[in-house]
Amino acid sequence: MSARVMLKAGSLAVLALLATGCGRATDVTVYEPGVYKGPKDPLVKMHATAEHKALLKERFTKGQTDR
Amino acid sequence: MARMKFLCDSERCIECNGCVTACKNEHEVPWGVNRRRVVTLEDGVPGERSISVACMHCTDAPCAAVCPVDCFYTTDDGIVLHDKDLCIGCGYCFYACPFGAPQYPQKEAFGVRGKMDKCTFCAGGPEGKDNSDEERQKYGRNRVAEGKLPLCAEMCATKALLAGDGDMVADIYRERVTKRSGRPQSWGWLTAYQEDV
Repeated sequence: MSARVMLKAGSLAVLALLATGCGRATDVTVYEPGVYKGPKDPLVKMHATAEHKALLKERFTKGQTDR
Repeated sequence: MARMKFLCDSERCIECNGCVTACKNEHEVPWGVNRRRVVTLEDGVPGERSISVACMHCTDAPCAAVCPVDCFYTTDDGIVLHDKDLCIGCGYCFYACPFGAPQYPQKEAFGVRGKMDKCTFCAGGPEGKDNSDEERQKYGRNRVAEGKLPLCAEMCATKALLAGDGDMVADIYRERVTKRSGRPQSWGWLTAYQEDV
């Protein structure tokens, strides 16, 4: 008798396990291909400012133009 | 909008390798990796030309297009940078790059590739704070954050190598070509930026 109960319980457990495989996970992270996914570079923000651009232009004029 | 570009004037390059040394020294580039190198064509015969080659920071970078983990990003000024934490060392970028810029440190056995290394236009990488120890160790010095330009160009003795705002670089080169009455040979520009000087 107890073996029957155990068999039933076992088969129920197996069924429950199998059923979990049929579910759809809702917390999947979908990434857009071709989009950078790493941490942000602080330089990008600084590089976009007009002051920084002017600084680099001045540096270029001082150091690399022909005399 | 300003767009950062490299230009090597082959009429002026004397193959001194000063740019290569400067780069290696400034960024403490590992053994076996050369972010910049000088290529000589027709070596030893009349008409010999030398060109300093590194990552050209292409407009439509093929390395970024083929990267399976999307570890590349481009700054507002067109500098192409990459994240070594995301890089898996697959080598696709190496095959895609028309300039042979991406390099791999050969430290491990059985040809296992490490993280890709390439010229950063002296702009470091995405490592917390600019010029932090971690950034220096992984990508080298971040000169752009300090308001400076790539050292290879800044210390070029003959000013053959120019690095900076693309329009300013093109103006200088055009003026030189006009003075010496030749044809412009802005090597690599058409491939990298889809436009000539």
